[in-house]
Amino acid sequence: MRWRRTLLILALLTPGLGVILLMIGSVFYVAVMQSFGYYNLVGEDSFSLEHWEKVLGSKQFSRSLSYSAYIAVVAAIGSVILAYPIAIWLRRPFRGSLAISAVLKAPLFVPGLVASFLFLNVIAFHGVVNQFLMWIGITDEPIRMQNDRGAWGVVFLQLWKNMPFALLLLTGAVQSISDEVLDAARDLGAGSFARFRKVIAPLTVQAMQAALIIIFIGAAGDFAFQVTAGPTNVQSMAQYMVFLKDSFGRWNQAAVVGVSLMILALFGSLILAFISSVVLKSGNKW
Amino acid sequence: MTALRSIDVSKVFEDGFTALADINLSVDPGEFVTLLGPSGCGKTTLLKIFAGFYAPTTGRVEQNGADVTSAPPEKRDTAMCFQSYALFPHLTVAENIEFGPKQNRVDRDERLDRLNELLRQVDLERHREKLPNKLSGGQQQRVALARALAMRPSVVLFDEPLSNLDAKLREQVRREIRGLQRKFGFTAIYVTHDQSEALAMSDRVVVMSGGKVEQIGAPEEVYQRPETAFVADFIGSANLLPFDRVDDHVVETPLGRLTVSNRPDPNARFICWRPEDAEFGVSEGGNIVTSDISERAYQGAYTDLHISVAGAPDQRLHWPGGASCVGQSATFRLPPERIRFVRGEIA
Repeated sequence: MRWRRTLLILALLTPGLGVILLMIGSVFYVAVMQSFGYYNLVGEDSFSLEHWEKVLGSKQFSRSLSYSAYIAVVAAIGSVILAYPIAIWLRRPFRGSLAISAVLKAPLFVPGLVASFLFLNVIAFHGVVNQFLMWIGITDEPIRMQNDRGAWGVVFLQLWKNMPFALLLLTGAVQSISDEVLDAARDLGAGSFARFRKVIAPLTVQAMQAALIIIFIGAAGDFAFQVTAGPTNVQSMAQYMVFLKDSFGRWNQAAVVGVSLMILALFGSLILAFISSVVLKSGNKW
Repeated sequence: MTALRSIDVSKVFEDGFTALADINLSVDPGEFVTLLGPSGCGKTTLLKIFAGFYAPTTGRVEQNGADVTSAPPEKRDTAMCFQSYALFPHLTVAENIEFGPKQNRVDRDERLDRLNELLRQVDLERHREKLPNKLSGGQQQRVALARALAMRPSVVLFDEPLSNLDAKLREQVRREIRGLQRKFGFTAIYVTHDQSEALAMSDRVVVMSGGKVEQIGAPEEVYQRPETAFVADFIGSANLLPFDRVDDHVVETPLGRLTVSNRPDPNARFICWRPEDAEFGVSEGGNIVTSDISERAYQGAYTDLHISVAGAPDQRLHWPGGASCVGQSATFRLPPERIRFVRGEIA
């Protein structure tokens, strides 16, 4: 009877969980195998560490890795930092709060590539920013702002796109904290920042970690923002992976970058979530 | 010097609702004052003005002689016990109790002394490392009380703290609160809609209705000498009857002509007497009333009798025996000194 019950549960899970595991599992399997010399487009399949050695030994890879990690960390932490005060502000409804909330979440409905294109139109030579700067006389000729070397454009786009997602998660969590709990903290002498640090943040830590993880993974694998608005002197991991695949069909090396990107996404997001948890716990101990 | 004082305090909310109108109340140090009234009478609003969560629309609040009207809650020498306990769910019992002292930078040794003493006082030493969701309602209420007392405030504000407890536990925690108040000597302002709680715990009761104070007095005073029909009806059971003055000590009522010991108040609209004021087994002298019993409800120590009166609502009596039946008549005497005159309208 027990095995029949187990079978039934597995059968019920298969349409959802099964497809997810199959899709992720097969992609992961092929990528890993390809990185070790299997599933070649041309030539014989054989186990090899050559592709890993080549990629890991390349300076371009290490730059891509640190660049993607940097963008992902800044995007995740920045989005959460920007979203928290807005979520607290919107905690209780007021006149116009619904409209403000809807406008703030609008970027969720704009595809990344379209957002990049719109952004370029704003900061391009002929964009509104340059035209405005020239109109008020700050500059005589357009300033080059796109594809800046500091990646500020990409960071801005990441925050613009991901902050609403963090807001979506954090608003629900912040709203679930009762007024009386916050009033109690205030009554016991906690000012605004102490209430945030000792009550709001610990009680919304799960939503915060979910936001950090999901945004980190998305930003680490960014391609659209990078190719349109990113710096030209460095490539993101996704961009580098496509570059390897497109130039001379180096599929195996592209697979190495792909697997590395998955490892970065997995461990990076976990480390971020762990650090946030530790910081909050130590904050509670004073 | 008064511990806490409201002077002409009014509160009108943004939607135009007037929650409080011209409240003047002085609370002495160490006094236990209860704000009593039905839902929506403004008692919690007044408490939140004392705590600093609401700013009064007009008037001011003084604590120990200092104007604290615009001081935020974190800057006031008050601590509040909330109706829902409002414990921090992510902190243990000990961390909850230490929250206030830590916030106010009390040094570690002093903090631990307070924590250990309070845990002992509220009998929660065994539970110090537990999270609030592992405690019963009564235990959570005691943690909330200990957390407030850990601040060593001069005034503790209680917002219906027992309303989520069952009757037996309520009785026990009520005694504990009063015991702690006597021991630590803090001033207590206690909000409740439960008149028995107010009568049992308070030094003084403030009866409120529609954002106004109806009467302030000792429990015995508001029970035995209610000034308005609302107070008489809200605190305990009261029989209210319209009357016409015959002379200084005689009034005409639907129960007949009654002798009274006090002169009728010129502003009074009703006479009032309590069900337990009726004297049975007396058939001679003045104020003898005989009427048919319309309803009876056995209450153990007495039987609650309803008698019909022409031109007035049924009147209630506490019959010390249990044998009366519907349809029989009841004869009783109303002692003149127990008949009071009250102002106002019947709600």
